[in-house]
Amino acid sequence: MNRWCCLALLFALSPALAKEYPAHGAPEGTITLYSTLDTGVFEPLVVDFQRTHPGIAVRYENLDATPQYERFVREETAGTHRADVLISTSMDLQVKLVNDGYAARHVSPSAAALPAWARWRNEAFGFTFEPAVMVFNRAAMQGRVVPQSRAELIDQIRKDPAFWRGRIGTYDISKSSVGYLLASQDVRLSSEFGALVEAFGDIDLQVEEHTATLLKRIEAGELVAGYNLLGSYARARPGSDRNFLLVYPRDHTLVVARTVVISKNAPNPALAHKFLEYLLSVQGQRVMAAQSGLPPIRKELDGVYERLGVDESQIGVLRPISLGPGLLVYLDPAKRRQMLDAWRAILGGTR
Amino acid sequence: MRERVRSLKSRLVTTMALLFLAGTVVMYLAARAYGLRAADLSYDRLLAGSALSIAETLSVDGARVRVDIPYAALDMLSAAPEDKVFYRVFGPGAQTVTGYEDLPTMPAARSRREEPSELPAPRFFDATYRGDVVRFVVLGRQIAQPGQRGWVWVQVGQTRQAREELAGELVLGALLPIALLTLLALGLAWFGVARALRPLGTISADLAAREPADLQPMTVPVPAEVQPMVQAMNGFMRRLEGNLASLRSFIGDAAHQIRTPLAGLRAQAQLALDEDDPGEMRRGLVKIERNAARLTRLVNQLLSDAMVMHRADARRFEEFDLVDVVKRAMRDAVPMTGDVPVGFISSVARAPMRGDAVLLGEAIKNLIDNAIRHGSPESLGQDAEVEVALHEAAGSYALTVSDRGPGIPAGDRKRIFDRFERGSTQSPGAGLGMAIVARVAASHGGTVELEERDGGGLVVRLVLGSVQ
Repeated sequence: MNRWCCLALLFALSPALAKEYPAHGAPEGTITLYSTLDTGVFEPLVVDFQRTHPGIAVRYENLDATPQYERFVREETAGTHRADVLISTSMDLQVKLVNDGYAARHVSPSAAALPAWARWRNEAFGFTFEPAVMVFNRAAMQGRVVPQSRAELIDQIRKDPAFWRGRIGTYDISKSSVGYLLASQDVRLSSEFGALVEAFGDIDLQVEEHTATLLKRIEAGELVAGYNLLGSYARARPGSDRNFLLVYPRDHTLVVARTVVISKNAPNPALAHKFLEYLLSVQGQRVMAAQSGLPPIRKELDGVYERLGVDESQIGVLRPISLGPGLLVYLDPAKRRQMLDAWRAILGGTR
Repeated sequence: MRERVRSLKSRLVTTMALLFLAGTVVMYLAARAYGLRAADLSYDRLLAGSALSIAETLSVDGARVRVDIPYAALDMLSAAPEDKVFYRVFGPGAQTVTGYEDLPTMPAARSRREEPSELPAPRFFDATYRGDVVRFVVLGRQIAQPGQRGWVWVQVGQTRQAREELAGELVLGALLPIALLTLLALGLAWFGVARALRPLGTISADLAAREPADLQPMTVPVPAEVQPMVQAMNGFMRRLEGNLASLRSFIGDAAHQIRTPLAGLRAQAQLALDEDDPGEMRRGLVKIERNAARLTRLVNQLLSDAMVMHRADARRFEEFDLVDVVKRAMRDAVPMTGDVPVGFISSVARAPMRGDAVLLGEAIKNLIDNAIRHGSPESLGQDAEVEVALHEAAGSYALTVSDRGPGIPAGDRKRIFDRFERGSTQSPGAGLGMAIVARVAASHGGTVELEERDGGGLVVRLVLGSVQ
């Protein structure tokens, strides 16, 4: 009784949006998912999963990456183990969960079929393949040269600052964890990123926490371009082709994999493993690609690039972000503080 | 109950297997120690490199220590792709600058030199953290700023999975050839033993094919290792054949020796039966009695000879006093109604020695008997004394029996020791006495010699080793 009270209390306190998918067979139990994916996007996967496992009920809680991480660690420390499976765009936070010993091992042929960069210690698994792109407003770019790389974007900004002023948007890296992850990887990989941020600083960069807000502002023509946005979100929007022009930067295009981890103290470990296995299976990946609009990671699925809406030659060097201890570096509080300080200093008056 | 004896094959293979097993265990321990050391050596370098690259970025900004962890610092540790990574920057004192605050500190024994004066070398240690055994490195940097003085430490740790894997690989690499070699050697032993023992089969076949009486030495060619066994068997058969031969000749001799007197005895008895005159009959009976006595002595000698032959081969030796044996022999051999005086002189009170007292007694009795019989012509009367003397000299006893008989010519002295040979054909006896003496002497490692006695007669000198 006490436990249910506790759960109810936690549930009441949490700002998460929870949705229950009851079992429609002989009940086997309920798995609880913490996820950064919008409930609507993820729903087809849950529905298809329940088709093969009708006895498993699913509780889906949609949270932002950092609150999700903090809540999970808080619950684990308190000993109230609620979450079975955690899904997050923040590869770095998921790596930290594994490194700090919160994750359970999952070994299966499906897991082994993943590319090496998308799994770590058989505890963290990337299950999508999402390049970070430059999104342009198709109409606004009419008659202009569309930059194909960071260098070209800098060039354009320098040539015509008046056009771009206040019309380029990206994630607010102090709030968006995926934005922070992408920026940190840019710092690491790109010699031009510093110059790019400086150029951004000169033209009053617009920052937002959520991809959806940025895309809306681009759709509305308020912004001309969005930098480092997850292309999958753009393509999922109605009228995407009409409104957007997606550019995969030729110098390097970062690829993010949404990462899934099973909690070491999962209340229903057996069911959690079943769900993870489904998510990584060809069947799950197919449903995810077809109905959720998320690009699959399994090579067995044909036409990965067609699904991305481009042909392979258009894409520059794809640089998947590798799951591993390297990602811990930018989570270091001192490192993060320095990076945010530098970011703010360069962007000057912004926000 | 037959004792179960394990086959050579299983014996050899078991011994070898045990030996190899022990060797493998030793090799495993050595290889594992070496493997772990090698793995630690290579991964420690990486760990130190990581800590060093973090330490490079240490700076002091006013009162605060700053550190800017390079991406490569942790990414380079992905060389061990499956290992967790922990780090902490702390100091001066125990104050954490960044990283995991609850990392285990260096074991006390090794952190004694807490504040070294010069740049310390990276120090490594293993500790358990969050349920995993973690290899840590700690290195320090001295900071000297106004108001900020002391050491800042960089600690980086990595779980041991890759190290264990590398060590395991090294161990496997070392042990696999040994294991294969072991199997090969055991297989070779298994099949090799059968091949090596094939000559034994040849020997068995040779023995099985023989006639029961065939005691000829084996001539089948055998390897040098089996040669001693074949030689031993051949020696055994030679001895067996010798025994059989002497038994055969004894039986032949005995039959021959007994048949003639027995026939004479019977003839005399028939003659006596045919006699009507009681005086003649009595004379005949006296003859019969004398011949029967001679036959008795012959049979006794034959039995004595057989006994000596058997005992001499058996060699059941024990300690006894030769003086006692001589005295007892004299008592047995000297007739109560003796006309011939027999004297005994001994220069020792006791003569301890090792041998077969019964055999020696028999030999001495024969010597005395011979001396009395052959060495006492009635003509000599009182002079015909027989003297038995025992002396000790240089670790041996010399027993002499002297008589005043005719002696034995030098040319016959060798022949006298053969069986059924007599000094002179007329004398009574079977001719076994001296043969017995010679055999007993030989079985005791002694010698018998015949000498001329001063003033006429024969001296038989028996030399035997004393116990000392």
